[in-house]
Amino acid sequence: MQTRTVYLVDDDPDVLLATQRLLVSAGLDVAAFQSARAFLEHYDTATSGCLVLDLAMPEVTGPELQRTLAERDAPLPIVFLTGRGDIRACAEAMKQGAVDFLAKPVDGADLLSSVNQALTKAAALQTERAARTHAEKALAGLTVRERQVLVHVVAGRLNKQIAADLGTGEKTIKYHRGNLMKKLGVRSVAQLVRLVQRAGVGAPGAEV
Amino acid sequence: MGWIDMAWPMVGATSLTLGLIYLLIWLRQRSQHGYLLFFVAAAAVAAFSLFELRMMRATTADEYATTLRWAHVPIFILFLSLVGFVRLYFRTGRPWPGYAACGLRAVSLLLNFRTGVNINFVQVTAMLTVPVWGGESVQIPVGVANPYVVVAQLSNLLLIAFVADATVGLWRRGDPNARRRAAVVGGGILLFMLAGSVLAALLNYGLIRIPTAVSVAFLGVIVAMAYDLGWDVIAAAGLNARLRESEDKLRESEHRLQLAASAGELGLWEWSVAADEIWTTREGRVLFGYEADERVDLSRFLRSIHPDDRAAVERDVRAALNKGGSDFDQDFRIVLPDGRLRWVRSRGRIDRDESGVAMLLRGATHDVTARGQAEERFRTLVEAAPSAMLVVDTEGIITLANARAVTMFGYARQELLGRPVEMLIPERLRSLHEAHRQAYREEWRPRAMGAGRELFAVRKDGTELPVEVGLNPMQTFEGRFVLASVVDVSERKRSELETARQRDQMAHLARVAMLGELSGSLAHELNQPLAAILSNAQAAQRFLGRDPPELDRVTEILADIVKSDKRAGDVITRLRSLLKKEEPQHRPLDVNELVQEVLVLMRSDLLNRQIAVRTQLAQELPPVSGDRVQLQQVLLNLLINGCDAMGDTVTQRDITVRSESALARGVRISVADNGTGIPSEDLERIFEPFVTTKPQGLGLGLAVCRSIVRSHNGQLSAANNPSGGATFTIELPAADRLT
Repeated sequence: MQTRTVYLVDDDPDVLLATQRLLVSAGLDVAAFQSARAFLEHYDTATSGCLVLDLAMPEVTGPELQRTLAERDAPLPIVFLTGRGDIRACAEAMKQGAVDFLAKPVDGADLLSSVNQALTKAAALQTERAARTHAEKALAGLTVRERQVLVHVVAGRLNKQIAADLGTGEKTIKYHRGNLMKKLGVRSVAQLVRLVQRAGVGAPGAEV
Repeated sequence: MGWIDMAWPMVGATSLTLGLIYLLIWLRQRSQHGYLLFFVAAAAVAAFSLFELRMMRATTADEYATTLRWAHVPIFILFLSLVGFVRLYFRTGRPWPGYAACGLRAVSLLLNFRTGVNINFVQVTAMLTVPVWGGESVQIPVGVANPYVVVAQLSNLLLIAFVADATVGLWRRGDPNARRRAAVVGGGILLFMLAGSVLAALLNYGLIRIPTAVSVAFLGVIVAMAYDLGWDVIAAAGLNARLRESEDKLRESEHRLQLAASAGELGLWEWSVAADEIWTTREGRVLFGYEADERVDLSRFLRSIHPDDRAAVERDVRAALNKGGSDFDQDFRIVLPDGRLRWVRSRGRIDRDESGVAMLLRGATHDVTARGQAEERFRTLVEAAPSAMLVVDTEGIITLANARAVTMFGYARQELLGRPVEMLIPERLRSLHEAHRQAYREEWRPRAMGAGRELFAVRKDGTELPVEVGLNPMQTFEGRFVLASVVDVSERKRSELETARQRDQMAHLARVAMLGELSGSLAHELNQPLAAILSNAQAAQRFLGRDPPELDRVTEILADIVKSDKRAGDVITRLRSLLKKEEPQHRPLDVNELVQEVLVLMRSDLLNRQIAVRTQLAQELPPVSGDRVQLQQVLLNLLINGCDAMGDTVTQRDITVRSESALARGVRISVADNGTGIPSEDLERIFEPFVTTKPQGLGLGLAVCRSIVRSHNGQLSAANNPSGGATFTIELPAADRLT
């Protein structure tokens, strides 16, 4: 398992340094930035970790950075810190997928708990992401005919029904089915369905 | 009738005419004996010419001899008058030859009647008819010459010598007038006397046979004399004209003096000290109320004076009479017969004899009742004035003080008059005042005293009072004075202080209300260091808990905790100073520093509202004198207003804070937003209390801001920007301009 970095963004240098120290004292790997821009310049979406983000900052604010990261599909769970209890901002941040929303001054235990939660989420995201990559890769190796058959199989149809729909014999369908199961490395239809779901392929019939 | 019968009477007539002219002149100017002498001489010559004509026309020797004998009478007279004339006119030369000539002529006249037929002949034997020019003929005698004729001839020579001596003397005097007289009169007399004498001698000895023309020569003498007299007459006429002219002028200037005296209502007077008689012009009598024919002496004069003024006038008159006494110059009142009062001013000068004793006191008096009344009115006005009035001379001596001055300063009037005005000024300011008083002499115009400075006066009991003083120069007959009006401003100062106190209270209330608005932002400013402290402390705990404890890190952390704690402390101090209710303290302040401090307080709020603040702060601005808290309040208020004005409607929210030097050594601070701006009709109204555009606003902020800025001698104004939004501008004078 690769190292996970806690990214820290706060415009107040004193607060930034203190927060960094707290995280470091918990044995975490921390990268601290004084502005959203500096962070974005440094951040690579391929890496794994979480983000501790100050809400109110000059230029690019916390929620703005949150949106930017979402657009880039970055797997970076966010813990918000704020100097003032702004309920509207909190609700909006949570809706957008933030892990937690903490008020300063924040207790070290609370922060570490939220960060760990975020890092767990990050790990899950990473696993999921790896599985999806695998599934996508496998699906990409199928022929057109095999993909057509796959869609029908995932939709729960019988070989006979599929053959009728595609205008071919039941034997041919059986053959394609065996091939694709082998190519995708699954043994059961249930396994097949999970793989397709992971890859994000839509509902049956969505791609025919 | 031949020409001789015409010529000789003409000679006589000419001579007589000239003589008569001067006789007439002499009759008018009897003192001029010269004219009379001339007339006598001329008449003698005229008479002699007639004798001579008779001699030339004598038919017998006897007739000729008798005529000649009598002809010597006018010659004698001619001699006397000639000598007298020369003596009188030339005023030079030796007199004795003249007297001798006259004496000898008298002797010869005696011999003329006692010897022979006359002085010329012992006997005339025959008459010859001798033809002359023009077909005429005259009778000339033939006879034996009288040996005594030498006496007559000697007298002729003496006369000539006498005239010659006088002529030379006159010539030597040198002035052109004398030389002219010597040449013409002396020369003429000499020439014609000589010619006459020679002619007479030649005829007498029968050496030539021509008509006896001695009278023609004598006429020459007369003409020469008349010529000179004519000059005198002309000169006299000129003199007369000048005299008349100067008389005219004198009369004219007298007239003018009279005119001026009556126009200026001047009464001219003259007091003969010895005779104790006072002469005055008609105007003078009217002025003093004397009867037209009344005799006026000193006691009458003194009686006409108001009893209160009488002693002073009499003293001054006596003083003027003393040896070395000065001129008389007095203002006094006259009681007229009908009881009316008249103010007059009288000036006189003493005339003294050689020993210095006063002879005459003469001068002029004029009516100054109008001025006197004006002075009375002035005094009444000054007395009734509500402020203290002091009239001070150029030496700073109080010459007049009104009732209010007495009550204001606590001195009796007599204690003020004649004393230096510095006595009313606190000792610590006295020397300064003297210097100012000197300077005021140079700059002689009405003005307020000590513009911009606080002035104090001191009462008799030593207490001080704040005053305002107005100075007015007065030019009077007695010289220059300053009318100082002094107003006690204690009451006003008190009410000003009260107003200031109320303003400060209001400012404090507004400040507290404003800080309420800012509380979120301020809480955040306090939160940040607290957050840092907490995180640092907990991190330190963890580092200490490690095995081994990471003490280096802990040391570092503790230093940062101290730093953050100070930061929090600063925020609290600032907040407290804004909340505290303190007397404003004016100190020199750096405007840019003020702006930065306010922006720190606002930072969180600005962040939260997504407002970008730009600062354009000029370097090297002069410091302003002011109360830090109050000026911070003004700036905070303007910034909050700017933020509120931009609300949510504006996408790009900017506030620009600018500082720059203003005209006339001041500083200008402006806060510009790009919000909705202010309706132009409200630009002034927004500074009124209880006028607000905000739903929650009290409407006190800007009113308080303006009163704060005004209490700093500054201005606060609002204007809309051409590109949208509004700009508020504070102008403050530089600190050094106030001192």
